Amino acid sequence: MGKKRQNRTGSPKFNDRMKKKLTVSSLVILLAFLGLSVRLYAINRDNGEVYKRQVLSQQSYDSIVLPAKRGEIVDRNGTKMAVSEKVYNICIDSKTLNSENGKYLDHAIQVLFAQGAIEYSYTQSDLRAYILDNPGSRYRVIAKKQSYDAVSDLMGAISGPEKDPELKGIWLEETYKRTYPYNSLAADVIGFVQGENEGAYGLEEFYNSTLVGTNGREYGYLNDDENLERTTKPAENGMTLITSLDVNVQSIVEKHIQAFNKEHENEFREGDGAKNIGVIIMNPDNGEVIAMASSPGFDLNDPRNTDGLELELPEEFQMAGIIKVEQGKEGASLNASDSAEIDIAVPAEKSVDINNQGSENKALTAESDSSNNGTDQGTTDQSTDPNGESYTAPVGAGQTEETGEAEDKPMTYEEAYEAAKMEALNARWKNFCINSTYEPGSTMKPFTMATGLESGKLTGNENYVCGGVKEVGGHKIHCSNRLGHGPLTFSQALENSCNVAFMDMGNAIGKDTFMKYNRLFNFGLKTNIDLTGEALTNSLVFDLNTMTPTDLAISSFGQGFNVTMIQMITGFCSLVNGGYYYQPHIVTKIVNDAGATVQSIEPRVLKQTVSKETSDKIVELCTNVVELGTGKSARPAGYKIGGKTGTAEKYPRKRGNYLVSFMGFAPSDDPQLVIYTCIDEPNVPSQASARYATVLTRDILTEVLPYMHIFKTEEMTEEEIAELKEKELDFAITSGVATPAEEAGLETVNGEGESAEGQVNGEEKPEGEKSEGAGEAASEDGVITFVDKEKKEKPGEYKKPEIKIDEATGYAIDPSTGALLDPETGVPVDGNISDLE
Amino acid sequence: MKGQKTLFDFTLLFVIIFLLCFGLVMLYSVSSYDANINYNDSAYFLKRQLVSTLVGVFFMTVTIFIDYHILERVAKWAYIGSCVLILLVLSPLGYEVNGARRWLNLGMSLQPAEVAKVGVIIYFAYLICDLGRNIYSKRGLIKIGGGVGLISAMILIITDNLSSAIIVFGIVFMMVFIATPNYRIYFGVAAGLLAIAALFVILVKNGVLTSEMSYRFARIEAWLDPEAYASGKSFQTLQALYAIGSGGVFGKGLGQSLQKLGYIPEAQNDMIFSVICEELGLFGATIVIFMFIVMIWRFFVIANNAEDEFGAMLVIGVMAHISIQVILNIAVVTNTIPNTGITLPFISYGGSAVVFLLIEMGLVLNVARSIKLKT
Repeated sequence: MGKKRQNRTGSPKFNDRMKKKLTVSSLVILLAFLGLSVRLYAINRDNGEVYKRQVLSQQSYDSIVLPAKRGEIVDRNGTKMAVSEKVYNICIDSKTLNSENGKYLDHAIQVLFAQGAIEYSYTQSDLRAYILDNPGSRYRVIAKKQSYDAVSDLMGAISGPEKDPELKGIWLEETYKRTYPYNSLAADVIGFVQGENEGAYGLEEFYNSTLVGTNGREYGYLNDDENLERTTKPAENGMTLITSLDVNVQSIVEKHIQAFNKEHENEFREGDGAKNIGVIIMNPDNGEVIAMASSPGFDLNDPRNTDGLELELPEEFQMAGIIKVEQGKEGASLNASDSAEIDIAVPAEKSVDINNQGSENKALTAESDSSNNGTDQGTTDQSTDPNGESYTAPVGAGQTEETGEAEDKPMTYEEAYEAAKMEALNARWKNFCINSTYEPGSTMKPFTMATGLESGKLTGNENYVCGGVKEVGGHKIHCSNRLGHGPLTFSQALENSCNVAFMDMGNAIGKDTFMKYNRLFNFGLKTNIDLTGEALTNSLVFDLNTMTPTDLAISSFGQGFNVTMIQMITGFCSLVNGGYYYQPHIVTKIVNDAGATVQSIEPRVLKQTVSKETSDKIVELCTNVVELGTGKSARPAGYKIGGKTGTAEKYPRKRGNYLVSFMGFAPSDDPQLVIYTCIDEPNVPSQASARYATVLTRDILTEVLPYMHIFKTEEMTEEEIAELKEKELDFAITSGVATPAEEAGLETVNGEGESAEGQVNGEEKPEGEKSEGAGEAASEDGVITFVDKEKKEKPGEYKKPEIKIDEATGYAIDPSTGALLDPETGVPVDGNISDLE
Repeated sequence: MKGQKTLFDFTLLFVIIFLLCFGLVMLYSVSSYDANINYNDSAYFLKRQLVSTLVGVFFMTVTIFIDYHILERVAKWAYIGSCVLILLVLSPLGYEVNGARRWLNLGMSLQPAEVAKVGVIIYFAYLICDLGRNIYSKRGLIKIGGGVGLISAMILIITDNLSSAIIVFGIVFMMVFIATPNYRIYFGVAAGLLAIAALFVILVKNGVLTSEMSYRFARIEAWLDPEAYASGKSFQTLQALYAIGSGGVFGKGLGQSLQKLGYIPEAQNDMIFSVICEELGLFGATIVIFMFIVMIWRFFVIANNAEDEFGAMLVIGVMAHISIQVILNIAVVTNTIPNTGITLPFISYGGSAVVFLLIEMGLVLNVARSIKLKT
C-alpha cells in the first residue's frame, strides 16, 4: 500500500526539500523555546523580589479561633444542669458571591433559604441587598448558633461527598451554645452566660475562669525559610463543676415555692405570692448546699425575657410609675418596692422607730441593698411626705422621693425604659439567699441562747417572767404577746419566742460577750460561699463601741442588724452539728474535660463556734419549739425535727410588712439537713404569721426527707396519714420501710429524676418540654388541694376578705372575734397595744 | 525486510514517561490543596489523571503495534468523525464545565477538540501525501484550506474554544508548510495573521473594542496592563507571574508553593507551569522545557528518517501539536501573549488531552519502529 502511494506521488520518501523545511521549522520552535526561557529568566531577574514580597504579603496570617467548650455544671448525681453544645454560625463571603457576574449568588440564596430549620438574621431580600451592597465583605455571620440538625443539610452541600459544586462563598463556623436543661431550676445559683462566653451571676460567674477553658487557634506564620506554615493549637475545654446540689431536692423545693406563689398570687396586692422567697437546704456536717432556691426566678435559657417584669419609670414620662411588661394586667397598683428595687437613701430618723440613736440605722438603711429597708418610703411621724400615708397607692410616694434625686440631664423615654428594664432584670437575677440582707427576727434567738450557754452567762435553768413589755434604755420594748407570756422556763422562752425573756438573756450576757459571739457566728462577715454577689453586712451590724443597752436588747431577738440567709443557715449548722463552722460551698469537685479530677473541694471547718454540749442543748431546745411551741406546723408527719420560727417586722415599722421565716433541722436525734425558709412580704392581708414559712418548710421536708433516706421515727396519726394520702404523697407515709407505698412514692420523686436523666442522655436533643412539663405538673398536683384543705380547716387565719389590719399595730384583726392576732404565733391577743416606742 | 533491525525510539519513550511521571507529581502538588477543600480528598485530581494516563498508555501501546499505514484508509473517517463529535456537543450529550460547553458525556467524558487534533493530523498527513504535487492546484487548495477552515471554525464556534482552533490551524499550517516548496506565501499568511492580531490589540488598546463585547477583548486588556485589573480579569495571570517571579533559581521546593493555596485559580490546568517555576525555580522550568526540546528533536529525527512521506507527515503533525501547545502555554503563563486557555501537554490536568496525546505518541513510535536501521 505504501509502495503504491510512493510510486504514484513520486515521493517515496520524505524528500530533502521537506527535510530542509522541517529543519527550519524545528529551529523556529527551538528559538521560541529559548525566547520563553529568556522571558522566564527576565521575570525572575526584573520582578523576582517584588513578586516574592507580593506572594508573602497576600498570604493571610489570620488565625482562626477554635472555640473551647465551656465546662458543664452538674449536680451531686451527675445530672447536667448547664451544658454547652456545639452549634454553627453560617457565614458568607460577599466577594465570592459577587464574583463571576454573580453566578453563585442566586444559587447560594436559593440553597440557603431552602433550609427550613435555619433561622437567619436576614430575610431573603435583605440578604441579597446586603451582599450586593457590600461586594468587598469577606465575612458576615448571617445565622447564629444554629443546631447541628438545622445545618446538617447545608453542611452536606458545602462539603462532603455530595457537595454542591456551584455553592460558593458560604461556610460554617463552629461555636458553642450554653443551654440549661432544667430552664429555671436553680437559676439564681447557676447563673447564665452572656456575650460570647462570660458568666453572669451564680456559679457561672464565680467559676467563670474554671468553666471557660482556653480557645485554641489555627494560625499561619513564616518559618526561617520564609515558607508559610500553619499550626494548630487545639482548644482546651473548660472544667466541669460537680456541685453538691441535688436536682431532685431542688425541684421539690422550687415546686413548693411555686405552689406558694401561685396560691397567694394577687391575693392582697398584684404580683407573686411573696416579694421574695428563699429556701436553703444544707448538710450541717460539711457545709454543702443541697438546694438553694429563690423567687422570683427566671428562665436560664432566656434570662432577658421581660414577661411580667415590672418597670418603674420616672414620672415625667407618660407611662410613669410601675408598668408591667407584656402582660395584659394593669400593673400600676403595686408597692414601688416590688418592682425595681431602686435604692432610695432615706434620712435616718425616718426609718428609726425602734432605736432613735440613729447612727447605726442610718448605715443600715443607706447601705443595704436589701429588699428590707432600701425602698423605704418613710411614713413615720416625722414624715412630711404627702403621699406616704397610702399603702395602696405607693407609686406616687416612690416617685416623689425619686424625683428628689433625679439625674441632672433629662433622659429620653427609651433610656429611662431601658434603665428601668435593666434594673428590674438585675433584681430578678439576684439570688435572694445571698444577695439580700434583712433583720433575722426570732431565728436569732437560738444564737442568743447558745451565746449565753457557751459563755456561761446562762445555765439553761433560768426562769423568766414576761409581762408583755420591757423597758430598756428608756424605750418600752414589747413582746410579741403584748399581754405577756407570764412565767417561763428557759426552754419555754424559746418555745414561745418571748422577746422579754430574750432581752433579759441579752442583758445577762452583756454586749461584749454578745458581740464576740456574733462575730464568731460570722454576723457582719461574709461566709465566702462560692457564689457571686454575697452581700457584705459589716456596716449593717452593731458596733460594740456605740452599742446601747437598747441595741443589745433588740439584737437578742434578732432586730436592729442585718444578715443574709446564707450567714444565718451556716451559723445555725454550727449550732446543731456540734459547733463546727463549715465554710458553705456548692462546688465539691472540679473535673477536666476527660473526667479526671482537677480539684476536690473538701469540707472546710473554719472555726468552732460552740461546744458539743451547747450544740446538743440547742438541738434539744429547738426540738421543743417544734414539739411544743411556735414551730409545730413545721413538723413533717413521722419526723422529729427542731427549728425556730421568725416573724420580723420590716422597716418601716407599722406598715404590716414582715419577713417570716423558719430555720430548722432534721431529724432531731442526728441532724442531717438544715433548712432555712424565708418569705419576704407574703402577699396576704396579714403577713405577720410564721405559719407561712413553717407550712412551706413542712411541705418541702415531707418530700425531701424520704427522698434523702432519712427514716421516720415517730408514729403518725390517722389524720396525718389521711392528709398525706390526699396530697398523693403516699411514699412519705412509710418512709424507710420498703413497701409498695414507698415504691410508689419513690416513683413520684424519681419521676423527676428520670426526666432528668432523659435530659442528660438526650442532651443533643432540644430540651425544655420535659422538665418544664414536670415542673408544672409538680406545681399543680396535690399541693394546691392540700392548701385548700388547710384553708377550710382554719378559715379565720386564711380567708383573706375578712381580715383587716389594725392601723396602729399592723397586726391582723380576727374578723370573728375582733381580736388582734399575734404575728408570731397567730393566736389572738387581748387588750390594747401601743407602739413599741 | 525480515530480520532487519528497526528503530525503537527509547529516548522518546523515556521523555514521554518522564513527562508523565513528572506531570503526575506536579499535578498532585498543585491540586491537593484545592482538591482537599472542594472534594475532601487531596488526591482527587491525581486519581482521575492517573486513570486517564493508564488508559492513554494502553491506547499508546496498541497504537505502537498497529501498522500506521492502515490510517491512510481511515483518514477521511478520522476527519469526519471529529466533525461529528464536535457537532454532538450541541446535542444533549454535550455538557458545560465552568460555563463552556466543550464536553461530551459518552460514559466517560470526552473533549471533541482533543480528538479533532489527532483526527486532523491523520487526515492532513493523508491528504498532503494524496495530493502530492497537486497541492497547489485549485482542488488541493480547496481541500486543504476548506478542510482546515471548516474544522477550525467548528471548534471555534460550536465549542467556543479559540485555543484549540488555533492549535488545529497551526498543525495544518506547519504540515503544509513543510510539504510544499516555497516560503513566501507562508510568511505572508503568518504576517497577515499577526497583523490581524495586532489590529485587534490596537483596537482594544484604543478602546474601540471593549471588554463588554467579548471576554477575549477583556483578556487582551488584561494582557496589556495586568496590574490595572489585578483583582479582576488579570488576577490569574498576575498570580501566575508572582509564582514564577517568587520561585528564583531553584524554587521553594516541591510542594512548597504558596500561590497554589487558593491564589492561582485552577492552578492544575493552564497555570501549572507557573507553580513548577515557583516550586522548582528556573532550574526546574528549564528541565521541563529541555525535555520538550528533546522530544521535538526526536520527532525531527523520526520525521527525517521516516520510511515514507505519510509517516513523516504524521510525526510532523504531532510535533506541530506539541510544540505549539507548549509554546503557547508558556507564553500565556509568562503573560507574553493574552490568556487563551491552553494546557501544558502531559502535565496539565485533563483526561481527554492525555489519552489522545499518548495516542499521538503511539503513532510517532509506530513510525519510528518502521525505520530500517542501516547496518
